[in-house]
Amino acid sequence: MIIVEGITKIYSTDSVALRDVSLNIKAGEFVSIIGQSGSGKTTFTKLLIAEERPTKGKIKIGDWDISDIKTNEIPFLRRQIGMIFQDYKLLPQKTVYENVSFALEVAGEKGPRIHQIVPQLLDVVGLSDRHDRYPQQLSGGEQQRVAIARSLAHRPKIIVADEPTGNLDTINAEEIIQILKKINEFGTTVLLLTHNREVVNSLRRRVITLHDGHLILDQEAGKYIL
Amino acid sequence: MMVFISRIFKFSLQDIGRNLGLSFMTVMILVLMLLSVNALWSVRVITNEAISAVKDQVNVSVYFSSAASDNNIAEINKYVASFPEVVDIKMQSAEEVLASFKQRHSQSSDIINALGELDANPFGPTMIIKTREPGDYKKIIQALNVPEYDNLIEAKSFDEHESAIEKIQNITNRAESGVAGLVILFAAISFLIVFNTIRSAINTQKIEIGIKRLVGASNWFIRGPYVVESVVFSLISLLINIAVLYLALSFVDPYLAVVFPNNFSLTNYYNSHILYVFGVQFVCVLALTILSSILAMRKQLRI
Repeated sequence: MIIVEGITKIYSTDSVALRDVSLNIKAGEFVSIIGQSGSGKTTFTKLLIAEERPTKGKIKIGDWDISDIKTNEIPFLRRQIGMIFQDYKLLPQKTVYENVSFALEVAGEKGPRIHQIVPQLLDVVGLSDRHDRYPQQLSGGEQQRVAIARSLAHRPKIIVADEPTGNLDTINAEEIIQILKKINEFGTTVLLLTHNREVVNSLRRRVITLHDGHLILDQEAGKYIL
Repeated sequence: MMVFISRIFKFSLQDIGRNLGLSFMTVMILVLMLLSVNALWSVRVITNEAISAVKDQVNVSVYFSSAASDNNIAEINKYVASFPEVVDIKMQSAEEVLASFKQRHSQSSDIINALGELDANPFGPTMIIKTREPGDYKKIIQALNVPEYDNLIEAKSFDEHESAIEKIQNITNRAESGVAGLVILFAAISFLIVFNTIRSAINTQKIEIGIKRLVGASNWFIRGPYVVESVVFSLISLLINIAVLYLALSFVDPYLAVVFPNNFSLTNYYNSHILYVFGVQFVCVLALTILSSILAMRKQLRI
């Protein structure tokens, strides 16, 4: 459960990213957060992983109020939220296997457990045969699938996908959305931040629309209306 | 804890291996810095050796008159030896002084003939005093300039050496402060070069550091491999530096042997100070590289 209460984020007097946004996201939901560039989507993501602090308001993840999270607690928060980015954010000097295992290694997971989990994750995203490749040796779709495998490493309750299809062609984009839907079917909350109209309309899930920092629309089984 | 430490070592070695070009350049910069420091260090050692060789040539002779008895001489000897500045006192009997004079002027028949005209040995015993610093001679001479010694001491050679001793003292002081100034300048330049090299190396991995933070790595887990890399780079650069230095010394030492006849060699110096010289250098380079990497990462690890 994600509870957002009256969140405002002001970078400077002439740059207000979010204005008094409140919303609740239940466990296991698949929510699309849409909006044009500058609408506050990315700031919302940054607030969820404590990359930014809200100027006003509260964010709770489960019972954990992360609005004033201590610096040394941030790594623990980030291990509980799987992040997927438009530009994949893979470590270029590490292989596919190492990119996924890194997420487990930073959490102190034991070696044998890592050797057990990583092949399973790569199997889920269909990259078992590419485990020893480096990111630059993969296509965009494959790189995004590695990022998804990595985001699942900690078995998170929440996955935040920030424009995951932004750099992909239609076929690859569709594959990524199918994987996200599959993850959601297993009970993981998925937050999809996008401005891809087709993707949002095909999902027929909850849609939250942001505009100029305001939450202007919250529809169950909604559509892309902008 | 052990799992984290072993992973930090693993990632560090992986980074070094997968960024060989960058690792090589960083080590080379450190080697050049260490070689510059050692060149300066060697210059300082040679300068000090030259200064102390010159200082060794300077001493003060106290010529006793024939009125001075063995007891008087022993008493003055004891008095002079009580000064902490005095490092050595040598006594020459009247006969030894005469023999030494004759040997020094053996080519000058006039002087030898004139000496033969005399019935008795014109020289009294002589006390040759060495002090720690040339500036200390004045104090010793002043201590001997008391009325009760007037009829016992015929002459003191300090007056003749005074200006030479002062010049040596000035040169010594200037050389020492000059070398100290150069060391500070080199240290400052080296710090800036190494700091910027490491900062550039870390900046190239700015995105990687950001990604590591996003997947939940703690700051120390991110910083750790860079610290280990600093240790590895410092160690490798020190070893290369030692190898190059000893090779260079094998070329320099034969020339030094000609200039310094007292078996002085830089190789011997470095051998006898190996732990101190290279220990200090290792600690300094390590502190410099670790400090540089921590400073360079500070901004990127900020929330």
